[in-house]
Amino acid sequence: MKHEVREEVGGFVVAFEGDVDLQTSPDARKVLLECVGRGKSVVVDLSGIGYIDSSGVASLVESFQAARKGGQNLVLASVSDGALRVLKLARLNKVFTICDSVEDGLAAIG
Amino acid sequence: MTPNMTLDPETKTREVSVFDHLELLSEMGRDFTSSRDMAASLLKAVTHITEYVRADGGALFLLDKSGENLICEACVGATEITGLTVPSDQGIVGRSVQNHSAEIVRDVQNDSSFYNKIDQKTGFKTRSIICAPLRVKDERIGALELINKRSDDGLFSDEDLRLLEAMSASAGLAIHNARQAEALVEQEVLARELELAAEIQRSLLPDARDDDFPVHGVNIPARTVSGDFYDYFELEDGRICFNLGDVSGKGMNAALLMAKTASLFRCLGKTIHQPGRLMALINDEICETSSRGMFVTMIGGIFDPRSGIVRIANAGHEPALFFDHDGVCTPFEAEAPPLGITTFLADGDRYPENEFNIGEGSFYIFTDGVTEGYLADGSELEVEGLTKILMDGRDKSAAARLNDVVDVIQSSGKPIRDDTTLLCLEQKSGPLVTESVEIITAANVDQAIEIISLEIPSQPDRLKLVRNFVTQAAGFCDCSDDMTQDVVIAVDEALQNVIRHAYGNRPDGEIQIKLFRTDVNFIVLIQDFADTIDVTKIKPRDLNDVRPGGLGTHFIREVMDEVAFLTPPEGRGNLLKLVKRIA
Repeated sequence: MKHEVREEVGGFVVAFEGDVDLQTSPDARKVLLECVGRGKSVVVDLSGIGYIDSSGVASLVESFQAARKGGQNLVLASVSDGALRVLKLARLNKVFTICDSVEDGLAAIG
Repeated sequence: MTPNMTLDPETKTREVSVFDHLELLSEMGRDFTSSRDMAASLLKAVTHITEYVRADGGALFLLDKSGENLICEACVGATEITGLTVPSDQGIVGRSVQNHSAEIVRDVQNDSSFYNKIDQKTGFKTRSIICAPLRVKDERIGALELINKRSDDGLFSDEDLRLLEAMSASAGLAIHNARQAEALVEQEVLARELELAAEIQRSLLPDARDDDFPVHGVNIPARTVSGDFYDYFELEDGRICFNLGDVSGKGMNAALLMAKTASLFRCLGKTIHQPGRLMALINDEICETSSRGMFVTMIGGIFDPRSGIVRIANAGHEPALFFDHDGVCTPFEAEAPPLGITTFLADGDRYPENEFNIGEGSFYIFTDGVTEGYLADGSELEVEGLTKILMDGRDKSAAARLNDVVDVIQSSGKPIRDDTTLLCLEQKSGPLVTESVEIITAANVDQAIEIISLEIPSQPDRLKLVRNFVTQAAGFCDCSDDMTQDVVIAVDEALQNVIRHAYGNRPDGEIQIKLFRTDVNFIVLIQDFADTIDVTKIKPRDLNDVRPGGLGTHFIREVMDEVAFLTPPEGRGNLLKLVKRIA
């Protein structure tokens, strides 16, 4: 899994590429928590995600909760069908704000 | 007939006529009681009376069920009018019926009530009519009408009218009795049919099992047939499906819907092992075909005696009660409407499920006939009363406890108010049912074909390889993309559990993955060689509690049709079986 973080006006955009699984989710978690820790809202771009498992979802949930605690927001953008299936299994599709594109995501956190 | 020769001629005539009359009446009575053919008996009676009074014609009218029409059921002489229908308040016959009075019309042309349409149609010339009502007490049955006296002037006398009146009274009684006898026979037939229906219904309930079986139930119908039901049956892997339901309403319509719902559960429950999904399918069926706004409240579940895990879905039913070892009660309320109300479910294609470990506790499902059952003092049992009986009987067998509840309701001295049904589920101590790999192959996979197997070390970086491997294998077995995705999710999550929990993140553990297929199933066996884990501690978490972690087990159960821990062949490690139906 690769990741890329860029800073926009409204907050960070974190893009993952590859699989977020037991092997890689600790990295994803670290990146997300760091961004949240810097006091800004986050758009997680999932367009490049091939597979996300429960540990990957757990990283998203943990970061989401940390963001909320700090009065920030964390939204998901460009969620692939596979990732959406997993989010639905966890009934998290209603918990997260899911946006069609990163731009929509930035608008949502702005 | 023996004429009395010693009487003077006038007396003799009267005596003979009374005697004749009595003879006629008794013959009529015999005829009605001995014959099953009402129409024939009526015709016979009209013929006799017409002949006896020496009329040209006679007709017998009976009121229809609505009481609005008089129908000619039998007719003799003059004109054929059998089947003729006249409004019950019209004509001379109508007047006679409405007023409970005998009518004589010497000259019909001077009577405005005369219904002359028949004469117009047939060309017959009606001159004189006598008509007498058929009735028993105040119950109107119909009327007997005679037309034209067979004499020179063709006119009836008052004597004729009195004679007709007397004979009509007897005929009315005979018809009334015959109808009652007929109704009685009909009632007996109905009662017999109802008894047969009840017998079939009882046969839908499962046979009582030995005390050491985990599920026991009892059902006492308030009437002959019941709208309540319960059922339980074992799956091939040793898990037990159970349900208890209550159809709205009582009587035959409720019994029929009960039979349908129970049959659907039993049939679909053998292949669909997720109660929420199973009940959604039953709901679809009932919604599609239900009538008159009937619905079914039901709790369906599946119990794994090996792990003690109970998984249930509650469709609009009374809360089920779980009493743990210390007697602490947890109610499981309905989170979705009854079956048959709507196909739109908040959770999409399934009813929401709850899962818990039964441990040494007891799980009870019951219908409102139990909690609303009367006690001896006229009050209702209610949940408190039920709880007390169940707690007091804690040392008794489950069946004995359920009988205690029924006894209390039945001994109130009042008839049972509603169908009364209870079911109890308990984990029985003692050796649990164990299975080995051989049994799996025999039980599920008579013709199981091994697709491929793989061995990996317990390292997270191998998961991606396994996912690719499973994706390819599922494709090889013609699984759809969605199914493949589900199987991949389940295998990945199961392997995570093995790496993290069974091997405690040790990198040198050995994991074997075997893939099989049958005509209908894609089967994955995952075996590790770590210490045997306590499967009772594995449970999916409550998804309403949004927090990271604990989702894996939930995912596996959600996406697979069957998940079971089996006894590994050498009694070492853990063996997990995952089944996905291909069809």
